[in-house]
Amino acid sequence: MTFSISGVILIAVLALLAVGIYGLLAVRNLIKVIVALQILAKGAVLALVLAGYVRGEANLGQSMALTVIVADTIVAVVGMALAVQIRRHVGTLDIQALTTLRR
Amino acid sequence: MMWHVLIVVGMVVCAIQAIRVQRLLISALWLAGCSALVALLVYLLGAPEIAVIELSVGAGLVTVLFVFAINIAGEESLVVQKFIPAPLAWLLVALSVFLLGWLTLPGLSAAAGSLAQPDFTRVLWVDRQMDMMLQTVLIFSGTLGMIGLLSDSKKPHPPKEKSA
Amino acid sequence: MAAFLIAYTIGVVWLGAVLLMVVGDQRPRLQHALAVASALAAAAGGVAMLFYAGAGATLALPVGGVFGDFTFVADGLGVFLAAVATVVGSLAVIFSVDYMQGEHQLGRYYALVLFFIGAMVGLVLTSSLLLMFVFWEITALCSYALISFYNDDPKAVAGGMKALIITQLGGIGLLAGALLLYTYQHNYDIQVFLANPGVLPAQVLPWVAFGCLAAAAAKSAQFPFQTWLPDAMEAPTPISALIHAATMVNAGVYLLVRFYPAFAEVPGWREAVVLVGMISALMAAVMALVANDLKRVLAYSTVSQLGYMVFAVGAGGIYASQFHLLSHAVFKALLFLSAGAVIHAVGTRDMRQMGALGKQMPLVRSVFVIGALALMGIPILNGFWSKELVLEAGLAFGEEHGMLWAYGLMLVGAGVTALYTARTIWMVFFGSNRGHLHGHDAGPAMRVALIPLALGTLTTWLLADPFLRLLETVPSFHGLLGEVESGWELLLEVVKAPATLLALAVIGLGVAAWQWREKLRGLEFTLRGPARAAEASFGFEAINRTIVSRVQAGAEALRATQTGLLNWNLLGLVTGLVIVLLYLVLGW
Repeated sequence: MTFSISGVILIAVLALLAVGIYGLLAVRNLIKVIVALQILAKGAVLALVLAGYVRGEANLGQSMALTVIVADTIVAVVGMALAVQIRRHVGTLDIQALTTLRR
Repeated sequence: MMWHVLIVVGMVVCAIQAIRVQRLLISALWLAGCSALVALLVYLLGAPEIAVIELSVGAGLVTVLFVFAINIAGEESLVVQKFIPAPLAWLLVALSVFLLGWLTLPGLSAAAGSLAQPDFTRVLWVDRQMDMMLQTVLIFSGTLGMIGLLSDSKKPHPPKEKSA
Repeated sequence: MAAFLIAYTIGVVWLGAVLLMVVGDQRPRLQHALAVASALAAAAGGVAMLFYAGAGATLALPVGGVFGDFTFVADGLGVFLAAVATVVGSLAVIFSVDYMQGEHQLGRYYALVLFFIGAMVGLVLTSSLLLMFVFWEITALCSYALISFYNDDPKAVAGGMKALIITQLGGIGLLAGALLLYTYQHNYDIQVFLANPGVLPAQVLPWVAFGCLAAAAAKSAQFPFQTWLPDAMEAPTPISALIHAATMVNAGVYLLVRFYPAFAEVPGWREAVVLVGMISALMAAVMALVANDLKRVLAYSTVSQLGYMVFAVGAGGIYASQFHLLSHAVFKALLFLSAGAVIHAVGTRDMRQMGALGKQMPLVRSVFVIGALALMGIPILNGFWSKELVLEAGLAFGEEHGMLWAYGLMLVGAGVTALYTARTIWMVFFGSNRGHLHGHDAGPAMRVALIPLALGTLTTWLLADPFLRLLETVPSFHGLLGEVESGWELLLEVVKAPATLLALAVIGLGVAAWQWREKLRGLEFTLRGPARAAEASFGFEAINRTIVSRVQAGAEALRATQTGLLNWNLLGLVTGLVIVLLYLVLGW
């Protein structure tokens, strides 16, 4: 393992991804799902900036990270609007109860 | 270097806490902390514009949205019973992350970038013009989606007749 | 100037589409007016472009580095098809004012029609293969949406789905071709490819060539993909006239003609194209003979005539196939629109219930007969000249490559065409009034659409010379258009060639067979077996149904994995990710 800065940041990226994916596999509340998605997205942003830093092209990495931030913010916004409406109409935010699409 | 390690550790702790705690509001606050630390880290890596955006959007806007949504949706106490057994989840996560790291490691020592890099404005608005257009479309559609979802009005549909 | 016209033609019609959706369904008269204005504005642009055509007339929109520029080239082939699309499009929109009087959701209808016209113009004018694929898919989408316009009717929805699935399969072939081109040429430019087809290695070129043939066959409803067009007749008749007779189905023929200079050398490609065209032409003509739904007869007729065009492309007659495309667009649109007038008046599509409608609808009868005579290939009308040119090209090809039997079968097809056309005219407009139906003659907007088309059918053959000039502006067609000085020479050749007399004799035989149908009852009886096979579309419907039911059974079986649970779905996702990563790391 290299002990350079990029090595440390790579570990950070992997840790964030791990926490995010584990969260998606384990949580039951819909809003927690959105939290887990946000953590995943932060891992992605960090990874892109890291890539730019390593290659010396920080600005290119930044522009891609910007796209990721925009996309995941929109996901969070629409997700929360959905959560609010689901709470109103279905009555619960438990994702194991929200399986009507199956039928 | 010390700072980097400290910030990374703090970030990971915040993320883990965000998933673990039961109360949704506290979870959102931990997420805000994680965002702030990510912004700091990104700034130290030489990407100040993204740091600002991440701080204001991730730690600011998204947290406010979370608080708003949680207040409307209300807290809910659920039985903590996982559908997928924890060991299986941990195994898969650890495996995938380890493999990803394995694949990425050689890339870290790759040759550093070429000549003088173009400044941020040029990269964003000239080279990645298509990206910017798509992002604008995305923002519009997301906003419209949210408005559509949150509106309660029901418009009466015009009666559909079968045509001749 | 040409660049402005290109942007204007596509832009004005797409703007019209957006405006129509904004106006809403509460003001139908405004909707009608807006649609007609928009379509006519685009038609003006399309016709104006004819005068500015040339290989240098380009429009390039830079969109960053990845996709290359979005380029459009207004060369002869492209502007000709764009003019056809916009002019026939505006006539169909004018016709719709009467046909769709009082219908609901006009906004959706007109917006889709205008969107389609713009996409069609873009498809034929662009010189970026990726952009051509995008426009191709847009036309498929609009076609599907318009076929299923009456979305309460399950037959319409089923027809739309079938059209979508079959044409999308062809679209995949086109996308694969575009990606292969990019791999070897590093951009998507068609003109660059045509100037140097050798950029694709000898193993790859046949794949692209036959892939394009498959895509074109699916889009133009040729064998073996011809089953979607008859079912697409559930669409409102102006849509059938525009999309399924004059414009979208020509996209396949356009693709073949555009890429002919590059693919002609691929061994077996020309023969395959000739065979596909010939089989479609003959099979569809026989199926038209036994059909009883007026629009189905016209649909089969379209497949058959497209088969003639495809046959001509394979035989090397580029000018012949495009000239026939022009004639066919005009007379087929005329036939469909007048059929639409009939259907709108009497309320049914079943020809067995029609009869003696000529007395009640004299104008419609006259224009329909003009269109039908052009379809048969009777002299002076535009269909005669173009069909004879196609047959001549087929004869030359047959003599060179030893495939004279293909020419013979096409000749037989011409005779069958005459027979079913005569049958259709008689069953609808003459004879006795079997179903005791009452019809009124065409309304004013319908007349405005029908009369120019009838005049066109009588006169477009006079444009043979300007048409030749137009096609000569396409650099890749150099040497392929025959060594003639002017279009009049080609027409003169038609008049002088003995093959023309042979073809006229066969056509006359076809018409006579209908006149003497009482005496030929014995022959009809012996052909009963093939006739029933033709009614069942030679087993293609059965094949379609089996494929669909097998796929659905497989999908139902796989349904157990869809629990709807987020955790479960993610488990699958992460497992897949692990497998992919393992594959990458261990290099299996």
